Amino acid sequence: MSRPFPYTFISCPCADTPVPDPARTRRSRESPRKPTAEPPTDPDHHKSNTQQADEVGQSDEEDDEQTFDPRSPRSNFSLYPPEQLLYCEDCHQIKCPRCITEEIVSWYCPNCLFETPSSMVRSDGGRCGRNCFNCPICTAPLTVSTIESVTGNASGHGPWVLSCGYCMWTTLDLGIKFDKPTNIRAQLQKMTDSTPATGYDARSRQGSRAFADLKSPLSNFASIDEQSTATEREAEREASNEDASSIPQLGAEARFAALKNFYRTQISETSNSPNDPLSSEFGFSSPGALNRLMSLYASSSRLSGLYGGNKKQKSKPPVMREALTAAEGLRIGSGDSDTAIIERIVSPECGWDGVASMSQRTDQSPDVRFVDELLPLPALLRTKRAKRCRSCKHILVKPETKPQSTRFRIRLIALSYIPLPTLRPLAQPAMSPVTPTASTPDLNALSPLRTYHVLLTLKNHMFDPVRITLATPSVTPGSVATKVTVLCPQFEIGANSDVWDEALQNATAPLSDRISSMRGGEKVPEAGKVWEKGRNWTTVVLEVVPGTLPGMNTEDGETEAEPGKALTLQNDEDILEIPVFVHMEWDAEAQLEQQNVGKASKPDDLVARELAYWMVLGVGRIQPY
Amino acid sequence: MPPKAAKSEYIETDTGNKISRRSQIHGTQHIILGGKTVIQAEAVIRGDLYRQPSTATSLDGSNPAPAPHAPSVAITVGRYSYISKSAVLRPPSRLHRGVHSYYPLKIGDHVFVGELAVIEAASLGNHVHVGTGAMVGSMAIVKDYAVILDGAVVPPGMVVPSWCVVGGRPARIVGEVGEGYGVEGAEGGMARERYRLVGKPQ
Repeated sequence: MSRPFPYTFISCPCADTPVPDPARTRRSRESPRKPTAEPPTDPDHHKSNTQQADEVGQSDEEDDEQTFDPRSPRSNFSLYPPEQLLYCEDCHQIKCPRCITEEIVSWYCPNCLFETPSSMVRSDGGRCGRNCFNCPICTAPLTVSTIESVTGNASGHGPWVLSCGYCMWTTLDLGIKFDKPTNIRAQLQKMTDSTPATGYDARSRQGSRAFADLKSPLSNFASIDEQSTATEREAEREASNEDASSIPQLGAEARFAALKNFYRTQISETSNSPNDPLSSEFGFSSPGALNRLMSLYASSSRLSGLYGGNKKQKSKPPVMREALTAAEGLRIGSGDSDTAIIERIVSPECGWDGVASMSQRTDQSPDVRFVDELLPLPALLRTKRAKRCRSCKHILVKPETKPQSTRFRIRLIALSYIPLPTLRPLAQPAMSPVTPTASTPDLNALSPLRTYHVLLTLKNHMFDPVRITLATPSVTPGSVATKVTVLCPQFEIGANSDVWDEALQNATAPLSDRISSMRGGEKVPEAGKVWEKGRNWTTVVLEVVPGTLPGMNTEDGETEAEPGKALTLQNDEDILEIPVFVHMEWDAEAQLEQQNVGKASKPDDLVARELAYWMVLGVGRIQPY
Repeated sequence: MPPKAAKSEYIETDTGNKISRRSQIHGTQHIILGGKTVIQAEAVIRGDLYRQPSTATSLDGSNPAPAPHAPSVAITVGRYSYISKSAVLRPPSRLHRGVHSYYPLKIGDHVFVGELAVIEAASLGNHVHVGTGAMVGSMAIVKDYAVILDGAVVPPGMVVPSWCVVGGRPARIVGEVGEGYGVEGAEGGMARERYRLVGKPQ
């Protein structure tokens, strides 16, 4: 989601952890000045500060890795909006979605909001087992409605259909009607498997029994030639059978089940030793299967020369066969089915619209090619997930299991620990004769080389007062060099108090606002002074001078926009993003194990804490002229 | 002579609702505003589409006679909800047993409805954000802390679960909001600030 200006992102420190480069740290130690703006001491320090800023800007060039660059490809993976970040109380660190692990608390259907027990999730294929379906054409949810509802008589019975309220598709397009409005998924399954479920079971069992006779001699002789001929013969017989009936025997799901069933019985029957690993439930994917295959290759290579005359029957592993009948899951494609499909695609009544799109086909059976073969899709389940810190495994977020509940048992979000940054432009006083009245600048069109004042409010959600130090590179990284000065880089934010105090505060808030708005005309941002301060928030001013975009000529005052040059701007170079380094310190109540450590300098139960991170302030877009 | 400047853009009610004089609100007796609700200019709120008390005989009566009992509620809006410019709130309707009837539209607290959005949902939960130009179809249910992106079309009858972000036409679930969504002052929790800024001189 792109956000409108102004926005703030916070960089999770995890992006920097895997790059411990000793050379880099040494260089930073040697560098004469840190890129942090010094705390101004006197009112006219501001001017000298900007001068310093220029110098720092020079020395900054080689120090570039030290400051955070919001445009570097790496920062794509560390910048998050504040509300997405968590905080681990044990690591004392911000945690982003990359430094947590998730585990599923519950599964639920997003449509009916019913929880699916985790034992049912697999058998249902991760989809809702009730009445929730998505339209195969447009993915909108389908509603169960009766055909008779229009006429008004006898609602409550009559055939039911699934209909899409978005694209007006109904299951009537497939000729599917349901007898009752409940348990649609089972009804649909029964319809799409052309053989009824009970009959299929009996037949498959019967079929495998019939072929068990065939199988036992095969596994004894284990002659590949014989088996293949037998297979061919069998296949021909089957094919002729199928031609006679010319109906596909099983639906896709039933065929899959049949094949699975068939292979399982094959494995159990061809394994002659009772402790053969393949006979176990794990099947081919178990490590025992590899053993078996290895021994098979080893024996065959040793005996390859005297294959026919081999007398060691015992060392020879039995050979499995493939599915032979439709009941076992065999399906033989007819040769002209492809041409039939092509003819149908070409035919005028099918056309472009009649062919299912790739996205429509992804969730369907692989044979489906046309729109009128698409079946309604049961709604995919969603999950509620608990989140753990990746390094210390402590739970950071644990939602309640009930799908409808929005509450959490545990929720350690970063916003309860780090101050919430909000950004807002300060109304411009009459800077030039062109704009005589104060007006809030248009953040989507910041004019270059003009001084803007931006108010950065940090709101503390902790119950301890916090000391903040802000630092910015004096010139923003990237090809557009914008000068940034934090007018008051060091300040305190008061403690958050309980809700009742806040309510009282809110009652008086409009008053203070009115005062500030009254004074807004004459209030001038001053270096070293906090702009405004509330109970648990503090506002400071950032002075921003947007740089000129590359390809603009501003030397002689007249600006020219060259369309060709403007195109050379790399993507979003004109967006003004300011990296700000935030360092916060506070005295927290010590937890049990830390009491001994921090007792030397602090009173009994207080321990000094600090946290530092980068954030990025998206101020606006620089106007290209 | 300049026009009377005293008349401000907003009418502020006893419960703190700020309603633009240029909004179009029909059937006010069928609308409940929870207080501190903001309704911007050119917003259309169709309280006149309330459920007729007698479903069978409603068609013949030329004038929908006021019900003897309390008037049925067509639209409920919670506290600190914000209806932007040119948004439309319409109670959902459904054909039930051959009769076309309207159902109440419930909007929770701290809800933001973007400009030009059309809401026909059965309910919008608390802290729901509806983007600019989005369309929420008839009888849709949007649960708490859901986000509907700009220009999305939520199909009729869709349920948007909590914490989900939906977008596209038709809308699908495209993501989830973070756990901190809806914290006061952060994304999803700007309702009080938004309310305070309404009607203040720039």
